[in-house]
Amino acid sequence: MTKKIMSKKISFADAFQELESITEWFETQNVDLDEGVKKFERGLELAKTLKEKLADVENTVITLKKKFSDLDNPQDL
Amino acid sequence: MSPAIISVSDYLGLVNHALRTIPREGMVIEGEVVEFKVSQGKWVNFDLKDEKAEAKISCFMTVFALNVPLQSGMRVHVTGTSKVFERFGKFTLNVTAIELVGEGALQKAYLALKEKLRVEGMFDVARKRQIPRFPERIGLITSGEAAAYGDFLRILRNRWSGVTVMHTPVTVQGKDAVQEILGAFAQLNALPIENRPEVIVLTRGGGSLEDLHAFNSEAVVRAVFQSAIPVVVGVGHERDESLCDFVADVRASTPSNAAERVVPDRREMVTNVAMSAERIGDRLQYEIDNRSHAIDRALSIFDRSLARLLQSMSDVTRRFGYAFERFRLSLVATVEHIDRRVQMIDSRMKVALDERSRAVMELERVLKSIDPREVLKRGYAVVRSAGKILRSARDVAPGSHLTIQLGEGEIRAQVETNAVQESLL
Repeated sequence: MTKKIMSKKISFADAFQELESITEWFETQNVDLDEGVKKFERGLELAKTLKEKLADVENTVITLKKKFSDLDNPQDL
Repeated sequence: MSPAIISVSDYLGLVNHALRTIPREGMVIEGEVVEFKVSQGKWVNFDLKDEKAEAKISCFMTVFALNVPLQSGMRVHVTGTSKVFERFGKFTLNVTAIELVGEGALQKAYLALKEKLRVEGMFDVARKRQIPRFPERIGLITSGEAAAYGDFLRILRNRWSGVTVMHTPVTVQGKDAVQEILGAFAQLNALPIENRPEVIVLTRGGGSLEDLHAFNSEAVVRAVFQSAIPVVVGVGHERDESLCDFVADVRASTPSNAAERVVPDRREMVTNVAMSAERIGDRLQYEIDNRSHAIDRALSIFDRSLARLLQSMSDVTRRFGYAFERFRLSLVATVEHIDRRVQMIDSRMKVALDERSRAVMELERVLKSIDPREVLKRGYAVVRSAGKILRSARDVAPGSHLTIQLGEGEIRAQVETNAVQESLL
């Protein structure tokens, strides 16, 4: 299983899903130590990223203008 | 003065002129719907019956103007213009607006629409779509002034972060509510895919059945159903329900609950992530321990085998030592035995030799006594001819050479004569 290099861009959903799949791997496979160590390190890395993301406290609210007559042209987001 | 003569249609023209003077604004007619029917899918006819007196008005409208699910027996408020249709001579109320009144009627209409939509399969569980576990963009359709808006954002912020909320402000009740909500759905669904929210939340606070009118409107229900983006609906308090609740992909009980349903809880996720990391760590540790124990076991088995091997080697060595010692002792014993035997043989040999020596000496003495040389010494001679001892004179002829052996030395002689004498001596 090849993994892309961890970047700041990885979404919470992707990171969490990958962590879950690693957890599942550990719980359903006959763990090969070399592979296991690699996955463990990856898992820790993901957990760290997820924790950082969880430490964010901000949500952004964008108010969309009413555009009932001009629905084909919603660029003013 | 003779009366003016006018035609029927002129007269009805006067009547209808008079009818138009009845004001439309500031007045609604309340009555009960009877004989409700729709013809050709277009024309709606019913009678509006006075609830107390024997009185009724024929009513007419198009299905396009009918914005409530009407049924016979409902109490309604009707606005319209009255007219006598010349052709039929029939007084008719042209209905421009109709609204249901009384909980009973609204309830009845609500249930009728609910049943209709249910039969269409709009509430089927099978069509409910999953909302993403970690949405990054959430479309929010609600009034910006309502408590629902604040509640939703507050709970959202408490639980989760990093979300972009795309708020489309709408009025959630009143005559414009339906159009604005429909517009909001259309607007969010029309966004380019990369800007489009992953889930839409349609929410408002609680209210009466009349307040919730927009959320029970067939058009809004269909908009929720047709939205390409999954929809979470949260209306009012726990006990409130609307048709939008049933058609929603996820039904939340309140605006706050909608926030809870739409994003996970940060604290839970922190725990979850920590537990995941811990579990894989534990599992890896377990595997390492397992192998380490296996190695320990192997080593201890090896140790024990080695100890056994050393033990048995030392046993063998000891036994060999004992055996060798026994062997040595027996060797020593044998050597001593042989020594004794040799000594014994020696002594016996000596005895035997002594005995033989004495016998030999005796024999020597005897032999000496019979030695012919001893006899010769006493004056006898031995005469040989051609190497043979002569025992008779006849054995030689004269001239034969003789060898005469004496006690000391020999004589060579030649026979002169020979005669036999019986006794020479």
